[in-house]
Amino acid sequence: MSDGPLIVQSDKTLLLDVDHILSDECRRAIASFAELEKSPEHIHTYRLTPLGLWNARAAGHDAEAVIDILLKYSRYAVPHALLVDVADTMSRYGRLRLEAHPVHGLVLVSSDAAVLKEVTRGKKVAPMLGLQLDEETIVVHPGQRGFLKQALLKLGWPAEDFAGYVDGEHHDIALVQDGWSIRKYQELAAEGFWHGGSGVVVLPCGAGKTIVGAAAMALAQATTLILVTNTVAARQWRDELLKRTTLHEDEIGEYSGSKKEIRPVTIATYQVMTTRKQGLYAHLDLFDAIDWGLIIYDEVHLLPAPIFRFTADIQSRRRLGLTATLVREDGMEGEVFSLIGPKRYDVPWKEIEAQGYIAPADCVEVRVTLTDAERLAYATAEPENRYRFCATTLTKRRIAIELARKHQGEQVLIIGQYIDQLDALAEELGVPLIKGETPLKERERLFAAYRTGEITCLVVSKVANFSIDLPEATIAIQVSGTFGSRQEEAQRLGRILRPKADGRTARFYSVVARDTVDQDFAQNRQRFLAEQGYAYRIIDADEILNP
Amino acid sequence: MSTTSFADELRARSDESIRALFELRPDLVTPVPSDFSALAARANSAPSLIRALENLNKVAIDLLTAMCILDEPFAKSDLVALTDKALTPEIEELLLRAMIYQDGNKFRLVGNIRNLIGDEPAGLGPRLPTNLKIDFALLKQAPDGAIAMLERLMWGPPRGQLGNLKKPGPAISWLLENHFLLAMDSQTVVLPRDVAMHLRGGKIHKELTLAAPKLQGTPRKQKEVDRAAIANVSSFLRWCEELAHHWSDEPPVALRSGGLGVRDLKKCADHLGIDENCAAFVAELLYIAGLVVIDTNDQILPTTNFDLWLTRDLEERWHGIVSLWLETSRVSGLVGKSESKNIAPLGPELDRAGLPAIRRSVLRLLQQNLEIDPANDSINEVLRWSAPQRFNKDYIEWTLREAEWLGLTGQGGLSTFGDSLINGSEDLGIQSALPKPVDHILIQSDNSAIAPGPLTLELSNMIGTIADIESRGGATVYRFSEASIRRGLDHGQTGDQIKDFLKKTSKTPVPQPLEYLINDVSKRHGKLRIGTASSYLRCEDEGLIAQILHDKNLDHLRLRKLAAQVLVTDTDAHEVMTTLRESGYLPAAENGTGILVSAPAVRRAKSRPRPPRILSDQSTPSDVVLTSAVRALRAGERATSHKPRDVPRTTANETLDLLHQYIEQQASITIGYADTNGGVSNRIIDPVSISLGTLLARDHASGELQSFRIPRITGVSLVE
Repeated sequence: MSDGPLIVQSDKTLLLDVDHILSDECRRAIASFAELEKSPEHIHTYRLTPLGLWNARAAGHDAEAVIDILLKYSRYAVPHALLVDVADTMSRYGRLRLEAHPVHGLVLVSSDAAVLKEVTRGKKVAPMLGLQLDEETIVVHPGQRGFLKQALLKLGWPAEDFAGYVDGEHHDIALVQDGWSIRKYQELAAEGFWHGGSGVVVLPCGAGKTIVGAAAMALAQATTLILVTNTVAARQWRDELLKRTTLHEDEIGEYSGSKKEIRPVTIATYQVMTTRKQGLYAHLDLFDAIDWGLIIYDEVHLLPAPIFRFTADIQSRRRLGLTATLVREDGMEGEVFSLIGPKRYDVPWKEIEAQGYIAPADCVEVRVTLTDAERLAYATAEPENRYRFCATTLTKRRIAIELARKHQGEQVLIIGQYIDQLDALAEELGVPLIKGETPLKERERLFAAYRTGEITCLVVSKVANFSIDLPEATIAIQVSGTFGSRQEEAQRLGRILRPKADGRTARFYSVVARDTVDQDFAQNRQRFLAEQGYAYRIIDADEILNP
Repeated sequence: MSTTSFADELRARSDESIRALFELRPDLVTPVPSDFSALAARANSAPSLIRALENLNKVAIDLLTAMCILDEPFAKSDLVALTDKALTPEIEELLLRAMIYQDGNKFRLVGNIRNLIGDEPAGLGPRLPTNLKIDFALLKQAPDGAIAMLERLMWGPPRGQLGNLKKPGPAISWLLENHFLLAMDSQTVVLPRDVAMHLRGGKIHKELTLAAPKLQGTPRKQKEVDRAAIANVSSFLRWCEELAHHWSDEPPVALRSGGLGVRDLKKCADHLGIDENCAAFVAELLYIAGLVVIDTNDQILPTTNFDLWLTRDLEERWHGIVSLWLETSRVSGLVGKSESKNIAPLGPELDRAGLPAIRRSVLRLLQQNLEIDPANDSINEVLRWSAPQRFNKDYIEWTLREAEWLGLTGQGGLSTFGDSLINGSEDLGIQSALPKPVDHILIQSDNSAIAPGPLTLELSNMIGTIADIESRGGATVYRFSEASIRRGLDHGQTGDQIKDFLKKTSKTPVPQPLEYLINDVSKRHGKLRIGTASSYLRCEDEGLIAQILHDKNLDHLRLRKLAAQVLVTDTDAHEVMTTLRESGYLPAAENGTGILVSAPAVRRAKSRPRPPRILSDQSTPSDVVLTSAVRALRAGERATSHKPRDVPRTTANETLDLLHQYIEQQASITIGYADTNGGVSNRIIDPVSISLGTLLARDHASGELQSFRIPRITGVSLVE
């Protein structure tokens, strides 16, 4: 019995003992075909999925190599059924091919007549196919490329896509590395994406995803459409691109509620893309405005449904998805993968932290005991109002204020969901508040003041969940959230993860009302971060009030 | 010409030869026949011959078929002419099995064989009537299509259907005219035996496979086979254990016809993370091994045998189950097949004759071909050759599948453990090959715990009660949740015990959130109490409540005070009312909403109607169950046959069992009893009754009735 670092479970999860001497070597070996599911302190969990195995095939690994790796590193005997399944799954890849045809455009080709027959009988697949040219070739409606690939994937017969990508309109873009240099993992991520053609890069918040985007643009050398969550983020992208690349201001356009510029590099917001006029998506034409060579989806985990549909239409363009937290409470992660492309790069948060590129963080859950009166009111509240009630109690507010005062002098962010709660907090602390109705100018002014240290405490609503770059923020106090959303929790932590000049540890407080649904939601919210190895500490509110 | 009878021929055989016959056809000696005539009659009976045929390989069957074509008595040379010279040794074999017998230098078939082989042996039709003659030279002038027609019928079946015999085509009418075909009825023609034999070139069989085909398959290394097999062994044993535990927590209710329902089976499969076929297999084996039973109230529950089983080492557990699998005629593979829709595991319809023989032959074949993962077609071909009459593709497939689940095979090849088991050796070497159990877990901050190998029994039991299993394999991943901690508390653990256990067992520090979770749940656990009572008394006058509570006349009502104004009792409301009235109180009845009801309603029984059970409905325990019951009894006996003063340690379950047993026997026993300081003293007592975790017994030392707390009894033994 070998004493390897890997334990292969019969449910197709792989457990990697990170304290083992061979763990690094083994991690690199299995990363090519298994998906990292979670990475807490001691044992990382990977999963063998058909998608992962097919990606490995696409990247040139065969089943034998995969099986060899499993056998080599496994501590115990590997279940035979699993090996058979791996071989079986991988052999399904490439039986069907999507190819470009000189006359008919796109065709589905297979030398295996039985497989072709099987998929053409599929209820979902049949309408996307056209004329059968011969025994091995069927015409595909060009617009259906994405949908077809998705449907075939569901049938278990993934098509290898040889039809290639359109190059798009050429545009010179290069990185300007003066006074900074691209980090190793950023380079690897951009290359991983480029070789794969399309796909998603997963990096922790604050690890510099914009640079990965810029590097990808430099590789593509083509006109680029960048989709971001909001206007503030759009401006940040623009500033960052101006700083890091050869692009000039007149080459970058903003396509948002206020401006409608279309330039070689255009940054658009999801919101404007999904705005409807008389029931029609008015701005989806942007996708066809220029012959884009690359489309970047920032915070791809937020990709709204209409854009989902549109993405299926533009399968011939290269697409890069960027995210820190590919968890969706609606379980749509799979859709993201099949429409944008598979995960091309993923690295545990703790590893980037160990390299010093994101700040270490101390996560603290502050448990607040409600007063008897509050408890009684909570108990009798309507179920749908319960969370709001316990999340916004006076007792919690008092603790949040106490925490903010305790950290006076440091850069503090107070984040919450309910506006009246935030209003009260801002008023009591005498600090500015940024919420949905705050005008863009005012927002930018406040953020700028915060960055320079002119303001040390800000109260923000969920508008600041994503993409807001506040490098010096070190303390975040979360008072309420969107129920049990795991990615919101992670994104909020992400706001304080930019490495600090003095290498200080960031601190993330989550104030939670004891014995209420607030506590249950908090537990769900913390799961993603806990799986990334962030161990929450729980302290009692009394410890803050009476230290 | 005088003929020898079958009985005479048998009589003339040597003792050795008769012994050999009995060995080959054991059914002939049960019961021992009274004389040779009886033996001959039995050997000629259809059931016995069918069994004998099942044991013949293809060559022997082919030879028998050839014999059916010959006229009796026939000579060896006749036979060789029809078949092949290499077959002559098989004649001796058939003779030994008393399927043919000697008549002088010639042979005769045992009478019933012809009936069993059928009217058209080897696809040959009837003989040509003697008055007809055939000129085979004519075939050269046969019209178009005639030869093709003959070739179609040549290897059987010899009959062909026509649209209408009255208007045959030119080819058919030519064939009929020249008697190459005979008309059977208005639509059927048949190829006469003589013509077929001519076309076949004087031989009967198209081809004779004289030796068994070689087993083909993917080559494997024995070392890898063993590694895979041991993984199978340990998962199989874990499935057994987990399923029994699962049923102990949530016992399924058996179908009315006996057996496990489809939904419950699916639940088992989901719980174990395996497919339903495999779950049915595990359930069946647990049942066969007497580890679970359908209880009198139709609940499927683990037996006390299961507790005993758990105390054995893994090799012994495996050995026991696999031996039963080899012998059982129950076929769990039938479950879930569309053609046997209503067959349920643990149900009465799973028995199929001949299965043990198939299992043995499959394993024997694997034993002869080590280091091979047999290809399906190949193993079917080999087994079809070695016992054509017994051949069943499904049974073979299931046997292979089940052997893999059990770990007899690994990666399809027979493991050394399986090999030793078939050879009947005592030490299979499993215990030493299994991964060493680990005695620690790793707890991570996401409230999961990982056991990086098989856990010791004690640990896995404990952690199984306080955490849910998330993933199985070489390691086990557990997840702690509010529900799982609550289950632990329900099982009688306290929050502190759980925390101590985790601190002791975890190699990594216990994350603080987990400690909080345990604290939170244990703080809330048990705050809300639930009990049963039949009726209540309420009164706003607290004085009156106190008075009633202390009234001696009402003692037998066993009133309990729940709150200052509420009393409850297990006595029925009507009775309470009567008693209170007799004692001079003025109670009034109220209904569920608190409204006074002046007169009691018409009385009806509260329980659901339960007509007496019909005896024949009850399933009699199977042999296996009985045997293991006896075994369990013996084991229990052994455990108690120690000297006094040397009381053996028994587990709580055993103690309870033994106590019940001795109470029934009214025996005097010695018990080890721990006092409050933890010291153990021995007492000699006569047990009287058990209730509420307490044993009531007369202590010999004091001569008085005394109660003993059962958890404090360290062991029980009989006074000799």
